[in-house]
Amino acid sequence: MAAWDLSVIVEDLGADAPPITISVTSDLHIGGVILKLVEKMQIKRDWSDHALWWEQKQRWLLRTAWTLEKCEVHADARLVFMPQHKPLKLGLPNGLTLKLRACFSNPVFQTVMGICRLLNIRRPEELSLLRPVEEKKKKKDKDLSEDIYDLTEVPLSSVSRPCLYNGMPAHFADSDKLEAVYKMLSVTQPLPAPEVIAKQYRPASVVDKAHINGRWLDSSRCLMQQGIKENDRIWLRFKFFSFYDIDPKYDVVRVTQLYEQARWAVLLEDIDCTEEEMMLFGALQYHISKVSQSEPQMLCSSAALDDLETALQSLEVKMEGESSSASELLKTMTAPELNDYLKIFRPKRLTLKGYKQYWFKFQDTSISYFKSKEESIGEPIQQINLKGCEVAPDVNVAAQKFLIKLLIPAPEGMNEVYLRCENEQQYAQWMAACRLASKGKSLADSTFQSEIDSIRSFLAMQKTNGSQGHADASDESINPHSLVSPRYHKKYKPKQLTPRILDAYQNVAQLSLTDALMRFLQIWQALPDFGLSYVVVRFKGSRKDEVLGIAPNRLIRIDLAVGDVIKTWRYNNMKQWNVNWDIKQVAIEFEGNVNIAFSCLTADCKIVHEFIGGYIFMSTRSREKSEVLNEELFHKLTGGHEAL
Amino acid sequence: MEDIDAMFSDLLGEMNLLTQSLGQEAAPAADPPTSTKEVNFSIGFSDLNASLNELEDKDLDDLMSDLMADLNATEEKLAAELQSLEAPPPPDLPPPPKGLIAPAAAAPTSPASPASVCTPSSTATSPLPAPPPQSVKPSKEDLEAQLKAEKIKLALEKLKEAKVKKLVVKVLMNDGSSKTLMVDERQTVREVLDNLFEKTHCDCNVDWSLRETNHELQLERTFEDHENLVEPLSAWTRDSENKVLFLERGEKYEVFKNPQNFYLWKKDKKALKEIKDKDKEILIKENFCGTSTIVPDLESVLHLREDGKKSWKQRLFQLRASGIYYVPKGKTKSSRDLVCFVQFDNINVYYGNDFKTKYKAPTDFCFVLKHPQIQKESQYIKYLCCDDAWTMNLWVTGIRIAKYGSVLYENFKTAEKKAVVSSAWTNRSTPSSSNPSTPSPTVKAKAQSQANGHAPKPQPGPVSQDFGHLPPPPPPCPNDDLPPPPPDPVFPPPPPPLAAKRSPKTAGRSQHPQGNFPPPPPEMDHLPPPPPMEESPPDFLPPPPPMNSLPHPPPPPASFGGVDHSLPPPPPDPEFLPPPPPDPQVTGGGGPPPPPPPPPPPPPASAPAPRGALRPTGSAKKMPPAPPKRTTPVMGGGGGGGGGGGGDFMSELMKAMQKKRSDQ
Repeated sequence: MAAWDLSVIVEDLGADAPPITISVTSDLHIGGVILKLVEKMQIKRDWSDHALWWEQKQRWLLRTAWTLEKCEVHADARLVFMPQHKPLKLGLPNGLTLKLRACFSNPVFQTVMGICRLLNIRRPEELSLLRPVEEKKKKKDKDLSEDIYDLTEVPLSSVSRPCLYNGMPAHFADSDKLEAVYKMLSVTQPLPAPEVIAKQYRPASVVDKAHINGRWLDSSRCLMQQGIKENDRIWLRFKFFSFYDIDPKYDVVRVTQLYEQARWAVLLEDIDCTEEEMMLFGALQYHISKVSQSEPQMLCSSAALDDLETALQSLEVKMEGESSSASELLKTMTAPELNDYLKIFRPKRLTLKGYKQYWFKFQDTSISYFKSKEESIGEPIQQINLKGCEVAPDVNVAAQKFLIKLLIPAPEGMNEVYLRCENEQQYAQWMAACRLASKGKSLADSTFQSEIDSIRSFLAMQKTNGSQGHADASDESINPHSLVSPRYHKKYKPKQLTPRILDAYQNVAQLSLTDALMRFLQIWQALPDFGLSYVVVRFKGSRKDEVLGIAPNRLIRIDLAVGDVIKTWRYNNMKQWNVNWDIKQVAIEFEGNVNIAFSCLTADCKIVHEFIGGYIFMSTRSREKSEVLNEELFHKLTGGHEAL
Repeated sequence: MEDIDAMFSDLLGEMNLLTQSLGQEAAPAADPPTSTKEVNFSIGFSDLNASLNELEDKDLDDLMSDLMADLNATEEKLAAELQSLEAPPPPDLPPPPKGLIAPAAAAPTSPASPASVCTPSSTATSPLPAPPPQSVKPSKEDLEAQLKAEKIKLALEKLKEAKVKKLVVKVLMNDGSSKTLMVDERQTVREVLDNLFEKTHCDCNVDWSLRETNHELQLERTFEDHENLVEPLSAWTRDSENKVLFLERGEKYEVFKNPQNFYLWKKDKKALKEIKDKDKEILIKENFCGTSTIVPDLESVLHLREDGKKSWKQRLFQLRASGIYYVPKGKTKSSRDLVCFVQFDNINVYYGNDFKTKYKAPTDFCFVLKHPQIQKESQYIKYLCCDDAWTMNLWVTGIRIAKYGSVLYENFKTAEKKAVVSSAWTNRSTPSSSNPSTPSPTVKAKAQSQANGHAPKPQPGPVSQDFGHLPPPPPPCPNDDLPPPPPDPVFPPPPPPLAAKRSPKTAGRSQHPQGNFPPPPPEMDHLPPPPPMEESPPDFLPPPPPMNSLPHPPPPPASFGGVDHSLPPPPPDPEFLPPPPPDPQVTGGGGPPPPPPPPPPPPPASAPAPRGALRPTGSAKKMPPAPPKRTTPVMGGGGGGGGGGGGDFMSELMKAMQKKRSDQ
């Protein structure tokens, strides 16, 4: 067989270096070509990650046993010898950029699997890569943050089997730098400044939201084939909103990044929610950021135990002091109580007397009041049980107004009662007590103190925002505008926003970090529009553009103008779907002889095809076979013509 | 009798005092008027007496033993604790109360003396506080402190237990009859339902529900299985005509039987009917088994009753997981424009009855959102009216899903399991379970006895009937779902399990009196029990003879007595029983019953004398105190009008107990 010359560019020699020419025959297999090449270069190093990339045909020659003839490589082929893993700048859901080595030769699906293994994210099939939205901002500050996190040094071999070391995957434990990277991945980011939120791109319509979905990379092809170059920026995002088997114990990074993606989706109004829901999201973000800062000493003592503990302690203290008689002994077992002069006002009463001062006593879940401290031994003027009541704050620190508004249920309806406190300290205590009591918890509850603390920290927040120029307004203070979408920046001043968020906060203030994260995700997932990926399409036989919403369990057809859902089709009624790659049309047949067909306008039909197939794949996952990812099935369902 | 009354009232006062002085209890201890207590105690009755009279044997037993056990335990622990704390008990300490009978003086309202304590328990107690502090001292101070702490802990726990609230609840059956049961505040609706299943032997399907009706507001709501029953019932007002119903409600778990009707309600009805089981499963999985429960996507124009006005206004409402919203005029349906109408934290959803008439509603398909404690007309109640029943059902179910989330599904699964097990059990044991028929006779028996019916035919009847009836309860008691063994018609066996079942503490303690022989009277008391039992029937109108179970031969008196003996809570029993000089007054009122066959006791009107005569031995010694004191309480009890203090309540309790006994 005749020998001929094959010239190969070796990337590692530099862009200017001339190609290396080797003499080959057509029956030489690829492995032989590489061997000859390496021998000719006479450079001793590990070439094992290298492979041949055929530039004209945009494909890798990865099958080393195939001959050049079989690969149809001729003398005119321009082959490049280069590593299969190259550095990539990966934009994470939390907004930070991480430099790491990713596989450029395997299908993106596998590349994502590799990345997720490196980052310790389970269920990689739910994520994918997409081209970032171009940013027109100056790059300077960006570059700074980009370079901080670098995982390119991690040897790829060490990643295959993640074993834990110090609570994190072993490959992060090698150096402080890597440890910092893991911390970035697994701990939620601090609250963004309101300006940062305001500056970001926000989709204004469903069509805007549809555009992002045109950016997803094709899972069946490799990065090189999709024009991604070394050191390019690419985003890693959760693509399929069907989160399987989340276990906070194993999914630290996954949950954190999922939360970050959800948080930004809410803040940037990528998903719509009501004002009440926004306030709750805000409260959760506040809580999460607060708790994650004080993470290490998470205490998990049970309320009941604490209750007992305090009772015992007070008892013992007493016993040390005196040889008490039985009755005294019993007295010391009393639960803690609050006693103070407060002012009360009942707005619904006909009397217009305004606030009146009484001696108040808070015990168990009830408030009782007396004319004066001296008379507090006798019968109270009134006793109010707060169990099941609604508690609302009305506070203005600048004006020194500390009001607790109580709505107390009674058989005849709700009674409104306002309690006015003198100062912050008093307010925090009584407010905390009212809150606990409304949930049926007494002052002895272990959460009492933390409730007081959280109320005070909220007051502090209002203080720094309300009156500017306090020297001690430390960086610890939080602007409530950091917690909500820019729409509410316009609608409410920070001062007005604080009580609303505080209101929502009382329901979540006692959650642990994990529970708070999970709660955020739950509320996010319960939003009506959750999990919808939009694509602008034109239905067959229709003249106008419409929006197709792709959800984990269904497709919906949305009127572009009005935003109404016109029709819903569920996947489990789907008999088959086809893509006509030539005219770029997706045709779906449902049970009951329902046929639909549409062409895709804002995304390639491969992307839509992959979404549908992907969701069907997600629904096939089940607990028994959960350990191994059925990659083949995924490609079969999403590959399209590539899979044929 | 009075001394028993006194005893009980004393005990009650005791309990009050304990809880009060510990400052841990707000509800019963705090409010001085005993009337509230009464209200709290019975639900669905015009007065407490009625409630107690209807209480079933077992429940009554439970109540008694619970009361005693709680108190005893508390006392015991306290005593133990105090003793260990201070070796020489100061004179004013309650612990070692040697007095056999508490002075009747101590009324519940004036629980001044903490010294009177039920004897058996305290005698039993004294041996218990085993580790004297001295023995510990040598080791270390820490240890001592630890020990102390342990004991106090125990005491606190017991105290907590002691203040568990209990209600006697009358539940209306769908056939018009009613059942009375005792529910403690820790019990969930599920447990109460299970209890009712045992009592009624219905088919136990998942539709069985407990439903609350509010008479005044014309509202109804099915309790969710995970709810605690006592809490919502406690919100009822004193004069409330509200009711608890036990009935089948298909809509309770309809969403799990036909999820498509809720989650795909927009689809055409025909398609929904043809949906495959597999698709239903998928729907349930999607909406209830994910990280988050998905609320049906509901949006409809509903009529809202304007605050204060009589008009109804239409609005476009939307259900979301976070609450109900409406679209303000001139705004779009986009989420950010929605106005929150109500959130679910503090409200429940109710069906309205006949609102067309009551409030001039456009249709009768109304539902209401309100705080469970609101019992009367109020501006805080939100009234909504739907165009049709279907829409109403969608909304009410949707709101329940939004409010309770996956708990509903858990409830359903539990109910389903229960249904399967019990259906299997009923199928399997049809022959042996001839006793299912007993409930109805029981009811009858009650009714008659209440009506002061005449003395029955031969005693055997009731006995055998009661046997048929009694054995079943114990088996169900074990928590597992195992079917109870077929009731054994043989007499001897039942008693032991029953006795054993009785709260272990009390059972164990009942031994002590025997061990503590010295005090002869109690000893004697222990023996005589049989007679008093048989004695009581005449007073308390024995139940009618159940016709069905006649075949049983009249039981030998001996076994009869034995059985009876096992019934009442042991510790108080020996002490209290003998005295029961079941008020002759009552009997007199009811008409002198023909003395029943049971050999010993034909005690007609004049109770004391015959009893004295009958009583073989020393127990007579104890009797004396009784007769003289029998005064008001009895009268009050007999008249049913007393209703005053806790003491009266207790006496009622006693009477009911005795009646129960007499039923045998």
